[in-house]
Amino acid sequence: MNNPYEVLGIKEGVSEDEIKKAYRDMVKKYHPDQYQDNPLSKLAEEKLKEINEAYDYLMKNPSPKRQTAYNGNSGGNSGNNAKGWSGQADGEFFNQVKSHINSGNVKLAEDMLEGSNNRTAPWYYLKGLIFMRRGWYDEAYNHIQTAVNMDPSNYEYRNALGRMSNSNNAYRTNSFNRGYNKGGPDLCTMCQCLYCSDCCCECGGGDLISCC
Amino acid sequence: MFGYIVPEKPEMKIKEYELFRAYYCGVCKSIAKRHGQFERFLLNYDSAFLAVLLSAAAGEIVNVQRMRCIAHPVEKRHMISGSGIVDYASDFNVLLAYYSLEDKRRDDGGFVPISAMLVLRKVFRKLKRKYADKCSIIEMRLNELVQLEKAKCASMDMAAEPFAKLMEEVTAYGPLCKSENVDKALRWIGYNLGKWIYILDAFDDLEKDIKDKNYNPLIYQYKYSNTDIIEFKNEIRDKVEFNLTYSLNEISRAFELLDVKANKEILENIIYMGMLRKTEKILGTGSCNKVE
Repeated sequence: MNNPYEVLGIKEGVSEDEIKKAYRDMVKKYHPDQYQDNPLSKLAEEKLKEINEAYDYLMKNPSPKRQTAYNGNSGGNSGNNAKGWSGQADGEFFNQVKSHINSGNVKLAEDMLEGSNNRTAPWYYLKGLIFMRRGWYDEAYNHIQTAVNMDPSNYEYRNALGRMSNSNNAYRTNSFNRGYNKGGPDLCTMCQCLYCSDCCCECGGGDLISCC
Repeated sequence: MFGYIVPEKPEMKIKEYELFRAYYCGVCKSIAKRHGQFERFLLNYDSAFLAVLLSAAAGEIVNVQRMRCIAHPVEKRHMISGSGIVDYASDFNVLLAYYSLEDKRRDDGGFVPISAMLVLRKVFRKLKRKYADKCSIIEMRLNELVQLEKAKCASMDMAAEPFAKLMEEVTAYGPLCKSENVDKALRWIGYNLGKWIYILDAFDDLEKDIKDKNYNPLIYQYKYSNTDIIEFKNEIRDKVEFNLTYSLNEISRAFELLDVKANKEILENIIYMGMLRKTEKILGTGSCNKVE
């Protein structure tokens, strides 16, 4: 096992609250929902496991006082409800395709879909998922959108579409938290300020920037 | 096509900026020392990013030295020397520049690319022997790209595929990819980098390509028909932005899975801010609502 403090990205000997906070942040970051439909989902799972182990360890072996054991591993309920189409005649077929996608056998899933002439909503949805794994986001979005249009009541399709839009927000939030466009003047405002203060200087007889 | 991957300087700490520049200068020096002075002019920021990324993923202990160089004869500068990864990044800087010259020659012809290629010929042959496997994949991908252009491919995903795969190959630095997890994460970063660069470049060149009647996937995907170019850009902006941000997000997710020990702040700065800034600048969104 790696150094649990390093895994959670904290200094040794920090308070329990800080460990908990770091743990919560890490779980949020590597949560299976963040990596759903992503070719790296297995890696994220491993990482999360490592984080859970590190947290468990730190909670069970606190530096001064003992702490009640931490129970249950978080990040659970992202199970794939593969029922979706059970009522339909070819539900079995689509379920098979889906399980191939989930187990990472995208090529086989794609061949199966291509061999089927049944261009219904689940077909477009699954094709969209395949595109997503491959990195063809535009096609993925369009296909899932088609699935939603064909079957607007299906929660799973709408959910996938929503996830795609949300993932961009997650990235932007992250940028913002690091200081991107946060408060402070951007370059345009800075120029403006400089120009204005120069004008004031000129009124007062001085000059900061000689050309304007 | 190169030079889009830049840091967001105002948000950098000075020590991070210095270290980033040490990588940049290190790549430049490595090119000069091993290939020649002329090849130096091909230097771009993307290779510095590649060097920082791979060096971080490898947990390499770098040797920073203060040295003089021709470009800045007066003051000594920090640069990284004796790093296999910096050498790798500089080799691919030259290789990709050569391939891009070849592409230019094919598209526009002209005297400049041909003469530059002649000068580079010897170095190119040497590097091609050194990286025979990677080069044959790169050439195959470039060939696919030409075919798609000829066929006037109307899907940006399909058109971006060869370049994305090409960048995937460049990012997958052999010695690091012995670990399956690192290989996967690096390749996914490379793939999405290539995709982001290709689509961003397509949007950036839209006006020029319409004027010169060159191929551009966005023209065909969104069926441009002699309307006002600005209006066309306004129509497709949201869609393009969605795809670009999605690629950036995937890069960030893969990056978070790499066990990065050093250079973390620099890489985060580039991935979360520098590249987003570049995207917004070229799209004409964000704080300065003007198209660059």
